[in-house]
Amino acid sequence: MSTAGAAIAVESRLLRALTVLRLVLLANAVGLNIYRSGDVDHPLAAAGCVLAMVAWTGYAAWAYVDPRRRTRLLLVADLGVAVALLAATPLVKGGDFDATIPGFWIAGAMLAWAIHFRLRGGLVAGLVLAAADLALRQQHHASDYNDAFLLVIAGPVVGFMCGSLQQMATERDAAERSAARAAERARLARVVHDGTLQVLALVQRRGHDLGGEAAELGALAAHQEQSLRSLLRASDAATAAELSGAPAPGELDLVTALSRLERPGVTVSAPGFAIELPAPVVTELVAAVDACLANVRCHVGQEAPAWVLLEAAPERIEVTVRDEGPGIPAGRLEEAEAEGRLGVSGSIRGRLADLGGTATVTSGSYGTEWSLVLPRTTLREEAR
Amino acid sequence: MTVRVMVVDDHPMWRDAVESDLTRAGYEVVAVAANGREALARFAATEPDLVVLDLQIPAPDGVAVTTDIIDRRPQTRVLVLSASGEQDDVLAAVTAGATGYLVKSASREELLAAVARVADGEPVFTAGLAGLVLGEFQRRSAAEPDEPRLTDRETEVLRMVAKGMSYRAIAERLVLSHRTVQNHVQNVLRKLQMHNRVELTRYAIERGLDVDDEV
Repeated sequence: MSTAGAAIAVESRLLRALTVLRLVLLANAVGLNIYRSGDVDHPLAAAGCVLAMVAWTGYAAWAYVDPRRRTRLLLVADLGVAVALLAATPLVKGGDFDATIPGFWIAGAMLAWAIHFRLRGGLVAGLVLAAADLALRQQHHASDYNDAFLLVIAGPVVGFMCGSLQQMATERDAAERSAARAAERARLARVVHDGTLQVLALVQRRGHDLGGEAAELGALAAHQEQSLRSLLRASDAATAAELSGAPAPGELDLVTALSRLERPGVTVSAPGFAIELPAPVVTELVAAVDACLANVRCHVGQEAPAWVLLEAAPERIEVTVRDEGPGIPAGRLEEAEAEGRLGVSGSIRGRLADLGGTATVTSGSYGTEWSLVLPRTTLREEAR
Repeated sequence: MTVRVMVVDDHPMWRDAVESDLTRAGYEVVAVAANGREALARFAATEPDLVVLDLQIPAPDGVAVTTDIIDRRPQTRVLVLSASGEQDDVLAAVTAGATGYLVKSASREELLAAVARVADGEPVFTAGLAGLVLGEFQRRSAAEPDEPRLTDRETEVLRMVAKGMSYRAIAERLVLSHRTVQNHVQNVLRKLQMHNRVELTRYAIERGLDVDDEV
């Protein structure tokens, strides 16, 4: 649907509702005219006026359905009929009439103007009808002035609301279209990337089989494949977070941020949904994890395998970093701290302590494991 | 009895490489397919025991093919092989009934080991997949309180898989047998796959639970 399409759809919907309102107004006007038929000077002319209202209501119900028929001419005629029926009142009922023949029925024309021409249309139609009503009366009662005032107020208000609704529908359509475009772009990119990754994996495999220089090429391909895969994962997580609604201002997705730490040897395991936390918390937590990984590179090996696991329970966030190194002897960290070397202790424990969490390290036959825990309650307090 | 395998991949060189590896390792490759349509037609014709399946194939995609295969013959083992490891797709394929998942960059030895394990019905999880599954159970228990939950032991084992530990290392650390660790992972997979009511009911009956109130 085009941009104009959304606005037209809103207009059509409002005009359908108006048709129902017109029928109610018509029934009311016809009923009142029959009830007051006693104080009419020319009953035949009055009957003619009522028939004209019935006929015009029927015609308008048909004419407003199709957007192509909603021309200026139709709207001018709609308002013209209403003014003409008002003008006919003194001729039919005599100069000292109390209620006009169409009564509230004229609101139908005014609302059509408000819906089609929005604020300005509502104002113009309201002013024209109010002026016509007041000009025809010999004496002005307070209630006549009230009715006129309501017409002039209601027209622009309805017109403004209709304009706002159309604008919202247009914006919503634009947002939906851009989300669909982003999803399609992501899908196409996925196909291309998958092909690239396949070829890199294949080169790696064949290179390994052939040996020699080909094996070196294979190792290069393996390296590129891993880099590209982790890049894609981070960008996938970012796209997913974007499509599920942009994070609140000042918040970042921890899954995306941690995925960026993936590199040859390093695996990041995380849930498939975004975990949004205040940006400073994410930055500090990622820095702490990065320090754990730097520690692995330093003490175990440049490309030593390490695993990062992110878990998000309702009450806490836990990140575990495991490697298969020999571990840190008990008391070694405290010793280094006492000697004034704050390296690991400062960058990991200090950061977590600042965030209101804890960092503990355990080692054993299974390797070394850092466990970084952040209770959600402290995060909430900090956000306050 | 030799295990009968079908290989589905749209990349001809990959398909040939996997096929020849499997043949050399003693498997009988009864069919190959380059897209979802071929895969389903040839699956019906040859009824393989095990399907090695690429997720990114021309329509219907790997997830749809897995769903259909498990629907037709629930005892079929599916090993998902994917280059990009597209997270949602991998989780969807495993939920649909795949027994294992491996990235394509895995070595030949890793691939053959995974095929052998999947043929035995043993789940093959990568650390990344275990992390996704942990997250999925977290999400489900928050959203749908009636969904089956993991026991503490199952969560513990799954967390260790997500931290890159092998079943053997997990067994050693928890002082359990390798077989017990395997059973825990199998139960995790079963609970993950019980996404429809029929299966939930069957699960409840197996456990001797009274289902009259619920159904």
